[in-house]
Amino acid sequence: MQRFVPAIFGPPKVESRPPLDWTGIIFTALLSAVVVLPLLVVGTWAFTEVWRYPNVVPQQFGLRFWNQTLTRPDVWGALTLSLQLSTVVTLLSAVICLPAAYAFARLDFPGRNILFFSFLAGHAFPKFGLLIAIAAIFLQLNLIGTFWGVVLIQLVGTLLFMIWIPVAAFQSVDRRMEEAARDVGAGPLRVFWSVTLPQAGPTIAAAVLLSFVGTFYETEGAWLIGAPGIRTMPVLMISFINNQMVIQYGAVLSVMLWVPSFIALMFARRVIGGGAFARGFGG
Amino acid sequence: METTGESRRPTGLLLVAIPVLLMAWLIIWPIFSAIGRTIWRPDAEGVPGFTLSSYVFFFSDQYSINNLLVTLWTTGMCALLLLVICLPIALYLRFSSGRMPAYVQALAIFPMFVPSIILAYAFIRVLGPNGMVDILLNAVGLPKIRTPYLTPWGPVIGLVWDNIPLTVLILLSGLGNVANHAIEAARDVGANRLQVFWHIVLPRISNSVLVAISFAVLGIFSSFTLPYLLGPASPEMMGPFMNRTFREVNDPLNAITQAVITFCFCIAFGLFYVRSVARNQGK
Repeated sequence: MQRFVPAIFGPPKVESRPPLDWTGIIFTALLSAVVVLPLLVVGTWAFTEVWRYPNVVPQQFGLRFWNQTLTRPDVWGALTLSLQLSTVVTLLSAVICLPAAYAFARLDFPGRNILFFSFLAGHAFPKFGLLIAIAAIFLQLNLIGTFWGVVLIQLVGTLLFMIWIPVAAFQSVDRRMEEAARDVGAGPLRVFWSVTLPQAGPTIAAAVLLSFVGTFYETEGAWLIGAPGIRTMPVLMISFINNQMVIQYGAVLSVMLWVPSFIALMFARRVIGGGAFARGFGG
Repeated sequence: METTGESRRPTGLLLVAIPVLLMAWLIIWPIFSAIGRTIWRPDAEGVPGFTLSSYVFFFSDQYSINNLLVTLWTTGMCALLLLVICLPIALYLRFSSGRMPAYVQALAIFPMFVPSIILAYAFIRVLGPNGMVDILLNAVGLPKIRTPYLTPWGPVIGLVWDNIPLTVLILLSGLGNVANHAIEAARDVGANRLQVFWHIVLPRISNSVLVAISFAVLGIFSSFTLPYLLGPASPEMMGPFMNRTFREVNDPLNAITQAVITFCFCIAFGLFYVRSVARNQGK
């Protein structure tokens, strides 16, 4: 181990080798055990055919359960439904939120600040209590158990992200470049398309992606409003866990479902990494 | 927010109208409707009037009270554990440099990208009966653990795991406001680490600590998925309790009453959270 230490601690400095960062090593070890180990166990179960207690390593690896899981009609039904829901919700959210974000960032109108901060209201109340209150209203409107009921509930969940992150993106666009483009005769649309959008685009794309992935995994609204007619992927997972079916089904679904989340992680790093993200939560 | 030189025109209002109306219909209105429907409804003769009977029932029903108590206990325990775990991590990340803190930060933020449904599954495979921990303990000849699965500790562990990333990010963002020279000055006059933390760091991040706690409390108090899958059937937390009252007992009135009660318990945290975020954004 000793030999690898300098490599871990970055390029060797001229003066001396830095002292061992024991705090960091302890944190890394503990967090790895708590964060990475459980996910490794799930990953192992997904590729396991036989694993009897108390063996430390599975007796037999294989892909048999991938085949079994992927040929289940309820899995395909839930996957298709979840993808449809996420696509519809994300598109609707983009269509109504992005113009609003542009207006909040660039236009002046009566009540702008109040309306801007009013989107926090959804986060100022305990979420499941709010869902129950909404469900009581949907009950009268016969929206319980319908596709559009779930779309509405998930759409509301995306509003804050899809407005606040793009607002920050539009505000960070260099206004001087827009003015320069206008000075050389570009029209407003042309300026928006060639100057504003390329600068704000990546952050907006990250927001859209986050809302797609967030909707895909949204469990509570789909569970409360969608049942029994609408079975999304997370709802199906709940029934797999509750009914204690073949262990591997849950593991295979977890691994399969985690892939989109991982892609989101890669894309959204720039949004998450910035202090702006934590500030958005009031830090 | 910056304002443009343009005159105050209502174009902006049109652009933000749909998200604002959607939010008013599906967040603001359900809250008022929930309060209204529980305190102003028909009595036995069908004459509408003011009544608090559903609240009286809740607070005189031992089962409901037990559920409320276990919710309060879980929320308090999670908030405490989150502080004890996340404050050292955030302090370490703020005051050290090199590649090690980058690993620690990546690990601490990782749970943000693990959907809670996958977390629940992983929890059962690791800490459940004959799970990975039992396997490892058995391999080194130690007795099995008393599994936290389906006990009040199950939701606590799951919810803490789920909330580590945002708590660390919010605390870290608060620590960004602590100037290095303030700490160096205190060190120069002979303050030790604990004194520096207590007299210099803590007063400057107290607001962030409160924001982190508020955010965690709002999320945990009415959480559903993790308590539903990992917690005991009785007493259950408010989330599963409301879900069962609404869906299985088919009693919307009492479910809404429970929702309003969770609102009341969280109102102080919600207001504080909104105020902090608004103040931060206004900067």
